[in-house]
Amino acid sequence: MHDIVRDFGPVRAVDGVSFEVRPGEVVGLLGPNGAGKTTTLRVLAGLLTPASGRAALNGVDVHRDPLAARRHLGFLTSSTGLYERLTGREVLITFGRLQGLTGAALLGRVEEVARELELAPFLEKRCGAMSSGQKQRISIGRAVVHDPLAYVLDEPTATLDPLASRDILALVQRARARGKAVLFSTHRMEEAEHLCTRLLFVRAGRIVARGSPEELRRESGQPTLTGAFLHFAGGQG
Amino acid sequence: MSPLPVLFKKELLDVVRDRRTVLLTLVLPVLLYPGILTLMGAIISAGKDRLKNEPLVVAVTSGDAQAFLDGQPTPGRTSWLRVERPAAEQLLREQKVAAIVAAPEGSTRAVAEDRQATVTVLYTKRFDRSMEALERLRPVLEAVNARALTLRLEARQLDPSFATPVKLEASDLDFQKDLGPLIASRLLPVVLLMMLFIGALYPAVDLTAGEKERGTLETLLVAPVRPVQVMAAKYLTVALVSIASTLANLAAMAGTFGAGLSLAGEASTSMRFTWGQVGVMLACLLPAALLVSGVALAVASMARTFKEGQALMTPVLLVGLAPALVAQMPGIELNTATALIPLLNVALLVKAAVLGTATLADVLLTQASVLLCAGAALKWAASAFDSEVFRFGGAINTFQRRRA
Repeated sequence: MHDIVRDFGPVRAVDGVSFEVRPGEVVGLLGPNGAGKTTTLRVLAGLLTPASGRAALNGVDVHRDPLAARRHLGFLTSSTGLYERLTGREVLITFGRLQGLTGAALLGRVEEVARELELAPFLEKRCGAMSSGQKQRISIGRAVVHDPLAYVLDEPTATLDPLASRDILALVQRARARGKAVLFSTHRMEEAEHLCTRLLFVRAGRIVARGSPEELRRESGQPTLTGAFLHFAGGQG
Repeated sequence: MSPLPVLFKKELLDVVRDRRTVLLTLVLPVLLYPGILTLMGAIISAGKDRLKNEPLVVAVTSGDAQAFLDGQPTPGRTSWLRVERPAAEQLLREQKVAAIVAAPEGSTRAVAEDRQATVTVLYTKRFDRSMEALERLRPVLEAVNARALTLRLEARQLDPSFATPVKLEASDLDFQKDLGPLIASRLLPVVLLMMLFIGALYPAVDLTAGEKERGTLETLLVAPVRPVQVMAAKYLTVALVSIASTLANLAAMAGTFGAGLSLAGEASTSMRFTWGQVGVMLACLLPAALLVSGVALAVASMARTFKEGQALMTPVLLVGLAPALVAQMPGIELNTATALIPLLNVALLVKAAVLGTATLADVLLTQASVLLCAGAALKWAASAFDSEVFRFGGAINTFQRRRA
């Protein structure tokens, strides 16, 4: 993303945000509520149009060619966002087809995702009848069924118990190992510390600090990442 | 490959697996009409039978009034109560008597002397029993009049036709015995338009506001699909459900009227629709389903939650039903002007189809007008879906409030 600006009426939600996430890198977006994290991710997904600046996925401009750009994107929100009256398999097939997969390639990919995420026991169940952990795993499958290059995760563990959160963290680790570029926003400092190669602290629509967890602790003079978060979120940085 | 078939299949699966939608749009009408009309017939019949067999007391306020009544056989389950006028009115208000018969002193003498007397029946429309009393008194007093007239004519050796040089006979050729077409022409436009709306409104809210609330819309819009394609799939689904609902309603109505129902044992409500009538109704209802679906989708897309969507749909339903009610007003008929007013033309065309007065020109003009408006509604829906307000609803406003 380069120098992204986005306003909502008189309020500037994102103010000149620039960053890059390289393949095999996990970048965490941290900041208090209302800091502009979700807006930034939505601009990157092409859901919101920026007032200025440029967002691209694998070199494809998100706003000039949104359909091509989104083929590189796996997007996961904090809500599972599943069609409750469809079965897990129907969800994966529907989103695989929307991503352009067909025939044997689609079915093969659905089986692969089901194996990788251990979906088989509930794949034929309607999503409305699944537990929240099962829903979350189907939701992950939906986001990655087309094997995207970039993963954008918007507070994916915010509403999950530790067991369900573990699936998300495992997804991120696998993605990093396979050379995917991962950007995710979170409030959980231990996740950020554990997974991220780099962190971006956002406040009032601006990136106020960036670096590895170690660099940010040092810069803030705090012994923990939570301390660093409070430092930057409080505006003392 | 266009994602539209994939989106349409997804929407359709989502809707047909929703029990509430299926119940409201397909099951309910099939059970509703036979149920309502049978119940209505039974209630009316039972009510009329009960009134006919109910003992009624009629107050008689003078000796002359009593003399008129005594000259004729007393109607069954009716008795006279001799009482003064002020007391009689109080008894009527208290429902202790069902009606009052009053005639001034000297009335019987006036009739005997070839003059005119006035007999007054006091009743009130507020009570069914009072209306029934009037029905029982009417033939008695007509017989009194007829008897007096006969005596006068006999005294002058005149033929009975002398008193009525011109006899009026009003005869309704079509509906004399069968009220089916009349009732259907009143009932069908309202019910079909109402079910057309209900068939479209519910899935429209579910597929837009409901989807936002469930958090699925955002995941759909980050797939490589254009908002207009998402809208098109939803529109086709809503229109299909609305059309299916309309067909189910029409079939249920046709079946109910076709079977015929008895109302009070006097009038039947049987009516068999011809294929031509059904064709005319479908020719206007199907374009109307496209119009209503477009409007419903555009309005529902403004809501953030299912509940908010339902609240928005209430005025849409009221505005949508107004033309059907206007179509019932006397003097409102299908002509070149009314055929151009969307939905009013549909209601009037359904009415005309039932009465067998619809013409091809009416159908074509109505179709053209409705399809033109359906196109505008579709354009409105497309622009609504393309806006960020649709994607995130109140989230943007919430953001503004939070940051302000």
